[in-house]
Amino acid sequence: MNFIDVALIPLLKIGVIVFGFAMLIGSMLTLAERKQSAYIQRRKGPNRAYLFRKDLRLNGLFHLIADGLKMLLKEDFVPHGANRKLHLLAPMLGLMPAMVIFAIVPFMDYACTGAMAAPIAGKDYCFPEELGALANAPLAELSNPLFNADLNHWFQVANIHSGLLYIFAVTGLAVYGSAIAGWASNSKFSLLGGLRASAQMISYEVSMGLSLAGILMIYGTLDVNELVREQGELLFGFLPQWGIVLQPLAFFLFLTASIAESKRAPFDMPEAESELVAGYFTEYSAMKFAVFSLGEFVTVVFIAAIVSTLFLGGWQVPWLYADGFHFTAASMPSAVAAQQLTVEAAQSALTANTNFAPDIALPYWLVVALRIGGFVTKVLLMCFLQLQFRWTVPRFRYDQIMHLGWKILLPLSIANLLITALVILLV
Amino acid sequence: MPKCKINGKSITVERGTTIIQAAAELGFDIPHFCYHPGLSVPANCRMCLVEVKGARKLLPACYTQVSDKMEVQTDSERVVQSRRAVLEFILVNHPVDCPICDQAGECKLQDYYMDYDTQESRLRTPKVSKVKVYPIGPEVVYDGERCILCTRCVRFCDEITGTNELTVVERGDRSEIRTFPGRELDNNYSMCTVDLCPVGALTSRDFRFKCRVWLLKSTDSICAGCSRGCSIHMEQHRSEVQRYRPRYNPEINDYWMCDAGRLSYKELHRDRMLKPLINGAAYTWPQVAEKGAALLRESIDALGEEGADKVGFVFSPQSSCEGLYMARRFAEEALGCTRHYVGGRPHGDQDDFLIQRDKNPNRNGLLLQFPRGQRPQPFEQLLADMESGQIKILYMMGSEVPVEGAQAERFRELLRELDLFVLQAPRGDGLDELARVILPASTHAEQRGTYINCDGVAQQTREAFKPLGSSLPDWQIAMKLAARLGAPLTTTFIAKLQEEMWEAMKANAQPAPEAPEAETTEADDDAPEEAAAP
Amino acid sequence: MAAQTVTLERQKRGFWVQTYLPEIFKGMGVTLKHFFGAIAKPSENIVTVSYPEEQRPYPARYRGRHRLMVREDGQVRCVACMCCSTICPANCIHIEAAEHDDPSVEKYPETFVIDQLRCIVCGLCVEACPCDAIRMDTGVHCSPFIAEDTDDFNALEGELRARERAFYARDLLMEAGDHSRAVQGGRRSF
Ligand code: SF4
Ligand code: SF4
Ligand code: SF4
Ligand code: SF4
Ligand code: FES
Repeated sequence: MNFIDVALIPLLKIGVIVFGFAMLIGSMLTLAERKQSAYIQRRKGPNRAYLFRKDLRLNGLFHLIADGLKMLLKEDFVPHGANRKLHLLAPMLGLMPAMVIFAIVPFMDYACTGAMAAPIAGKDYCFPEELGALANAPLAELSNPLFNADLNHWFQVANIHSGLLYIFAVTGLAVYGSAIAGWASNSKFSLLGGLRASAQMISYEVSMGLSLAGILMIYGTLDVNELVREQGELLFGFLPQWGIVLQPLAFFLFLTASIAESKRAPFDMPEAESELVAGYFTEYSAMKFAVFSLGEFVTVVFIAAIVSTLFLGGWQVPWLYADGFHFTAASMPSAVAAQQLTVEAAQSALTANTNFAPDIALPYWLVVALRIGGFVTKVLLMCFLQLQFRWTVPRFRYDQIMHLGWKILLPLSIANLLITALVILLV
Repeated sequence: MPKCKINGKSITVERGTTIIQAAAELGFDIPHFCYHPGLSVPANCRMCLVEVKGARKLLPACYTQVSDKMEVQTDSERVVQSRRAVLEFILVNHPVDCPICDQAGECKLQDYYMDYDTQESRLRTPKVSKVKVYPIGPEVVYDGERCILCTRCVRFCDEITGTNELTVVERGDRSEIRTFPGRELDNNYSMCTVDLCPVGALTSRDFRFKCRVWLLKSTDSICAGCSRGCSIHMEQHRSEVQRYRPRYNPEINDYWMCDAGRLSYKELHRDRMLKPLINGAAYTWPQVAEKGAALLRESIDALGEEGADKVGFVFSPQSSCEGLYMARRFAEEALGCTRHYVGGRPHGDQDDFLIQRDKNPNRNGLLLQFPRGQRPQPFEQLLADMESGQIKILYMMGSEVPVEGAQAERFRELLRELDLFVLQAPRGDGLDELARVILPASTHAEQRGTYINCDGVAQQTREAFKPLGSSLPDWQIAMKLAARLGAPLTTTFIAKLQEEMWEAMKANAQPAPEAPEAETTEADDDAPEEAAAP
Repeated sequence: MAAQTVTLERQKRGFWVQTYLPEIFKGMGVTLKHFFGAIAKPSENIVTVSYPEEQRPYPARYRGRHRLMVREDGQVRCVACMCCSTICPANCIHIEAAEHDDPSVEKYPETFVIDQLRCIVCGLCVEACPCDAIRMDTGVHCSPFIAEDTDDFNALEGELRARERAFYARDLLMEAGDHSRAVQGGRRSF
């Protein structure tokens, strides 16, 4: 443990992941949404801003800069009678949960600096240079960073063992931003928006949590990276067992609930332009307003990231493992065998048995790049889908939202939980 | 007391009441041109014909007096037919140049045509053409073609002003209104004929083509031209007053007002000061209140122990009672000043009808702000006091001075020698160049205010439009400065302020030992009720 | 009048309708089709017209350009009655009336300006005019509001100048105008 490990690397990771990825995509989405909705409606969308020359418009890309500048230069207005401190705090509280959630999102498996990373029953294991005390330990210990110094969590800001609980905890915080904004603004529209936001988010959090419980039961771990690793196993010998394959219902439940959490159309009751002006952020202007709307888009990215991680195999690229593509489970030691192996035995089995060679061998750095690329692609795809969804589905009425949350999603997620439990018990 | 039935409703009226008056009491409007409640009744237009049971012909409602058991129909088929016929007759030679006619929009002929006639002209011969744009007087333009010969204008000059300028000349369809040879329609009330004229035959030279009447917004107000304070309709378009029209008030001006007063609306927009200034630099009100108060305080302190005694305060009889009440309290409570003077316009002509010598609308209101015996001194005294150096600081409401010629010049010179001169007025009138602090006040058009006229009748004005520029009503300026001088003056609600003001004014009027002021006192006692009734 | 009652059968909604899901997927299908259609073939599928660079051709019977009619002697026919400026919902007609030397004309518009950019081309002014003095006729709309090509520092000034070009004044409007034969009172001398 030195300065580099403790401070510099985490800071670098935060910089790249949170600001270079989440915020960047979030702010691009502000334009993407307008462009996408335009195309859906057969319009051109914003395309007027230009830089230096009038014809240098890049199809509207500079609107990002223009909007940002505009927001910066607007008057920061606080309504008469508002609680100034809370009014200032609320947008931060709105943006913060969406950003801190990226702490546990793995962009890649741990990087292996050891001798070899090879798949056993669909999971990669990193053998250290010196087996040492690990030699006789059970295979599972290999992925424990306490014992294996060659595991490097370079692609995840914080490798928390209870990452899933962290997700629950942080999404639970998201409601404070809007509730406080609504209360602190001293405006009836804001207050109504804030109330709606709290009620809606609390309702949907329940089904959101319950729909994830199935995942938890199947993979049996709270560690998010471990969850993704589990999804690399092949079902029936050829099908990657991603969350969406094992828990299709939960996937839809979770997606619906989390879109509702993001307070975007069709669940935009707290903002409700048609009746509440802009809901809880009616009284916000300038950068505070920008932070709210940025928060909304970062939430979109965060939902995309969580859904990709838990249901779409995270950084997994189908059939791609540390040493290359294995299209069938036959080219890997089986799960049953793996459970009985010690580390040393596993290593020798892998090296000795030529059957375990990959179908297409790839260098490790290429695998890493492919996996990161795969994850980013999934996230972008999910963002795209969310935007598409927002511009397709008409708004709900408020009672319909509550109906959907409590009377449909909640029973369904409990049913999903029970069936999952039953299947696990029987299989 | 005859009892009659009009359209089935019965009513008992005084003997001598005409049908048109009785019908009006019942709420039936009988169309009429020549009848005017303020003038005699010639019954020459025949528009008001109504059906009376038992009478073979239709009778003119403006002339026929109600008799007992009379049964009148004002809207029967026959009556409507006759109105149609009368209108068609009047329109035979009418030019119908409504697009260029100033009366359009408030023209009786137009209105009745739409109500009763609405048929195309059946005339196939050319119309008789008569004079157009005939300058019948300095303020009035006559259009012979539009005239329907109701003779209201003629009767006005005979009966109200008694100047007899007008008459009808020629006969039949050549008849026109003209002045007698060598005369002009130039009496002091000539523009009343423009109001009287039911059509656009007489138009006001001042208002001509300035604004269409349907664009005007009307507010009940008063004329500030003299201490008569005639009740008027103040009519404005886009925050600019376009004209005054007399408003019926039997206690003050009946249906009339004088020409000078009618044109005095121009004062409202002349030479207005729109920004608070200190030493020539513009400030916002909070800033100017702060800096102005500091300046006053410093200048008073600089004069030593007796500083407050060297402060003069000029009250303007142009200002409303509210403004004067607050100004008096500001002067006494915030400045500690006891030297009070009266400003205002100098006296002018008067006549035996409406025009008063005193050209200030609220002198009585001003005097009532002060207890008997402490009334402010005349302006000449101010000149004398400034001359003798007893006054070093002057706070002046209103830019008008009641002295003229050499004295006014001397006053300006004396102003230059002052330590501090504060001007709180709507207009500069040249004094703004001499003032270190300029506080723009709004005129009576832009605020609610009470004015007490020469006969002690109090009237309230309403806000016709928002104060121009950054100007403020006098009472608000006084409160702003007083607050900064550490002597805040009560409330911000004008209704509350008015209550207090009436209390104070009543108290000031109470002991009424001297004869000349008794009149004011009496009238003032019923004034509050009067103010409430618009 | 007796009230009539019509009883409507409440439509039964089947299971799949109630789940919304098929409809949502169908809807997503539609929007996705539009989206990719717009990306693949913008020229065909995007309907936006980038005004003012691109302009639609005006229909032959389009009436978008005001003109003020003239009298026989070439003077403006308008008598400044303000009917048009009163009715104008966009409040874009500004008229200042003045006394004419000829008493048979009496009143004429000293200033008559139409702000063509504010005008919503509703034609109410034409309807309102009692004198057939204003008409709207074929021809192009007022030139669009594009800042003149000045250097960047003076962009604002350029825009203002461009804005002013939309204020069509009396003489300009009369140039497009014509001699009207309508007579007052509604009848025409054919
Ligand atoms: S007097 Fe009346 S009817 Fe005659 S032109 Fe004027 S507005 Fe029209
Ligand atoms: S000028 Fe007017 S008031 Fe006088 S007679 Fe003619 S219509 Fe009547
Ligand atoms: S067309 Fe309509 S909007 Fe345009 S000037 Fe005429 S009335 Fe006004
Ligand atoms: S154009 Fe017609 S409606 Fe408009 S002011 Fe002139 S005459 Fe009146
Ligand atoms: S009003 Fe009665 S005759 Fe004219």
